[in-house]
Amino acid sequence: MNHRPGTPEGGIGLAGNRESGPLRRFSHEAMNTVFEVHAANADARYAAEAAQAAFALVDRLEGELSRFRPNSDITRLNHLTAGESARVGEAALECLLIARHVHDLTAGAFDIAIGTGLPSIEIDADAFEVRATASGVRLDLGAIGKGYAVDLVAELLEDWGVERAFVHGGFSSAIALEPPPAADGWPLTLSDPRQPSRVFCRLSMRQAALSASGVRKGDHIVDPRTGAPVRGRLAAWVAVPRPAQARDTGPRLAPAAVADALTTAFMLLTLEEIEALCERSPGLEAWVLPDGGSMETTDLRHFGGPADEGAGILPGPTTAGED
Amino acid sequence: MADENDKKKAQPPSAAGGPPKLDRRDLLMGLSTVPALGLFGYAWSRQQQYRSGKEAAAATAPAAAAGLQEINVALLGAGAQGQVLMEAMLRIPGLRFRAVCDIWTDYNQKRVVNTLKRFKQEPNGYEDYREMLDKEKQLDAVIIATPDFWHAQHAIDCLKAGKHVYCEKEMSNTLEGARSMVLAQRETGKLLQIGHQRRSNPRYIHAYTKLLGEAKLLGRIVTVNGQWNRAVTPDLGAPERYAIPAEKLKQYGFKDMHQFRNWRWYKGKGGGPIVDLGSHQIDIYSWFLGANPSGVMASGGQLYHDPQTHEWYDTAMVVYDYDTALGPAKAFYQTQTTNGSQGYYESFMGDQGTLLISESEVNYPGVLFRDPNAPAWDEWVQKGYVSAPKEAEVKEKSDSGAVADVRESVAPDQHTVPVSLRDPYHQPHLQNFFNAVRGQGTLNCPAEIGYETAVAVLKVNEAIEAKNRLAFTPGEFKI
Amino acid sequence: MATTEATTFSRGPMIAITALRILVGWHFFYEGLTKLTAPSWSAAGFLKQAKGPFAGSFHAMAARPDLLANTDLVTMWLLTLVGACLILGLFTRLASLGGLAFLLMVYLAAPPWIGYFYAIPAEGSYLIVNKNLIEVAALVVIMLTGSGRFAGVDRILSGLFRRTPRLATA
Repeated sequence: MNHRPGTPEGGIGLAGNRESGPLRRFSHEAMNTVFEVHAANADARYAAEAAQAAFALVDRLEGELSRFRPNSDITRLNHLTAGESARVGEAALECLLIARHVHDLTAGAFDIAIGTGLPSIEIDADAFEVRATASGVRLDLGAIGKGYAVDLVAELLEDWGVERAFVHGGFSSAIALEPPPAADGWPLTLSDPRQPSRVFCRLSMRQAALSASGVRKGDHIVDPRTGAPVRGRLAAWVAVPRPAQARDTGPRLAPAAVADALTTAFMLLTLEEIEALCERSPGLEAWVLPDGGSMETTDLRHFGGPADEGAGILPGPTTAGED
Repeated sequence: MADENDKKKAQPPSAAGGPPKLDRRDLLMGLSTVPALGLFGYAWSRQQQYRSGKEAAAATAPAAAAGLQEINVALLGAGAQGQVLMEAMLRIPGLRFRAVCDIWTDYNQKRVVNTLKRFKQEPNGYEDYREMLDKEKQLDAVIIATPDFWHAQHAIDCLKAGKHVYCEKEMSNTLEGARSMVLAQRETGKLLQIGHQRRSNPRYIHAYTKLLGEAKLLGRIVTVNGQWNRAVTPDLGAPERYAIPAEKLKQYGFKDMHQFRNWRWYKGKGGGPIVDLGSHQIDIYSWFLGANPSGVMASGGQLYHDPQTHEWYDTAMVVYDYDTALGPAKAFYQTQTTNGSQGYYESFMGDQGTLLISESEVNYPGVLFRDPNAPAWDEWVQKGYVSAPKEAEVKEKSDSGAVADVRESVAPDQHTVPVSLRDPYHQPHLQNFFNAVRGQGTLNCPAEIGYETAVAVLKVNEAIEAKNRLAFTPGEFKI
Repeated sequence: MATTEATTFSRGPMIAITALRILVGWHFFYEGLTKLTAPSWSAAGFLKQAKGPFAGSFHAMAARPDLLANTDLVTMWLLTLVGACLILGLFTRLASLGGLAFLLMVYLAAPPWIGYFYAIPAEGSYLIVNKNLIEVAALVVIMLTGSGRFAGVDRILSGLFRRTPRLATA
């Protein structure tokens, strides 16, 4: 939320794996970070074309979601006076619905409306309209936008048939699609944000979103419920499985966006609250690094775990207010 | 204030215990600070005036009233640009999408139809636009975003079918095509708007009507500079599983999937970067200069990209001559596709000032420089036409540490254009079109104006090939 | 402190202090008026960013909507009225007292002690001293020197309500 722009937040790493054949890697700067597509076992030129289409998509999303763009949907909402409403596009609407979903799940710990609070906007999902109930609304999708972009890029890559891929934005929002050949999953690492060479845990992920939030020295995150800075949490990671079914109608189930929002929230919630949330949502997995004070303390806490099918954490059609 | 005592009226001496009177001095001194409030009030009202003037100048189009007459639209061409137009239209109230037509039925057409369905629209999907014109009975307007070489036929057929048409730029890849569009519009009397969306951009309109037209801030514009620099981008590909069969591609004029996706680079399909990118800005040149060019000189080439797949010039440098009302002017334009530094902008340079403007809300969103010898722009700042100046700092110390010896020429005052766009870039132009459809306004870029730009732009490729200056006759721009 | 019957300083310093009073009053009046006329101003942003020893109280003020609404109202009107009174020299001591108490609170909510990081950058901060503190000191001077009686409506009022004869003044 109040992170210095440009510094990667994440403590996610992609371990090298030489045996699985050629890995194509493409980078693009957008949303004040670097997005990357890693494609395994794909024709070089075709993968480049797919990546280019993916990055064009990311640019388009930035144009719609960034509060730093004067004519984005979000900026238009940020200029509404009390009672005024404005139309938004699909991306903005889906992000706002996800923000609301996670806001409700975390009892307000996650709030994209700085200062005025999420209740200061009313979302009419059918009409794609958002109404401001107070003036001075300041929406900031920084905590979801990257994840949402990563979600849509993942869908695009699947459309192009580039299925063995790993996508991330600034290494703080990532999606692992199908793994490289002869591997169970993409080899990822969670590392100490203070010391990236120190790896806490290795994961092998497929068809899941992984997100990271971390605090650098001198930064602080503000708790939207109290307005006070938060101490006591160094980093949080959240993994959400990708839903198996594709959707036809209704707002998109966007696992990376949800994971993004949850990691931000998990920097503020207590360990008990996190544990309870993970228990309620099969498939949701979280790792939290409390700030023990001394550099030697390794107290990575792990909650939840992969479930057999689906993820209870994702917004369903009913909670999104589609009816 | 010793003379105050002289002016003091004679007072009866205050007897002990009697009610004291305020003497004049007390009253004067007592109220002496009231004028400060008066001064405050004056300064305050001036500031309020400035603020409300600024807001009025920056006001965007008012929201459409409720109970708007619905317009039935079809989207002909659901590719990249068609989707951009669709996104803008989804934020315009009062539109009903009846149909989406695109030959890429499996991919673009289907995705756009599905998107529209999520927005509670129910468009029918077509591959053949003639079938669409036949079957869709309730259609008022068609938005055309197909490749340039299809524009003429699509537009003419839609006009003749009784529909109003918004056609993306370039009007056509040939002059004959553009001409036939103008004739068809005249014949049918339907509206034809050409997609030079800057003509409806509030910042450009403000610059044209207020800064150039009313305030004449630049004085006499003698030179113009403009460019669109774009970095190297790989050719556009397509998802394999949605490849279009070769016969269908040929039926619609494409030799293969690569040409279908990259038609802009092929002769006979598009006009290359000078047409794709340049036509927007060259249109603005004529608009702001108030004249069509009298001659053009151009140099360009296939300097970088594979000429097999990039038949048009990837780099072009162009010089236009104009005879404006105030005298001759020259305009330079450059487009390249190997380096994106400084992106795109237009710079109008007059003897009293410079206007540096672009469509982007992020880069070059409108800056004016006042020549130090020009009269002050205070009146226009007060009216809110331009912002208050940000004065450039004068260099005071030279590197050797000596103080204030060598001074560079004083840098001009810098003002910003206080108008910005809160909507997607194409929305105002589409709104202008739909307002005209409702009979509530005139088109900002009707066919005749689009034709003038087409003449100016299409000549560039000719000039590059001719390696010679080509002249325009005034009659060339009229039909 | 007995009410001064005559100004305690000679004319020069009194004119200077009156000028100071008008400037400080102008500042308060402007701050108050802009908040009153702004479509949606609230102290919430400032309160939530409060630091320092009393930060908790300030945050609490912002947290409760009813308390916040009252705070906003009081702030807007206090600033405006203090400003107007100071410009006019009306109830000068009371106005100065009110102004300096308010400014002291503002100072304590955003103390310019080194090491604090603010989201709203505070300009004009010079280690422990900042412009708020300077203005507090100016108000103390104004409060203690009766410039309202010298050149202000207080002079008229004290003239109207005085019972004892006045000595001739300079």
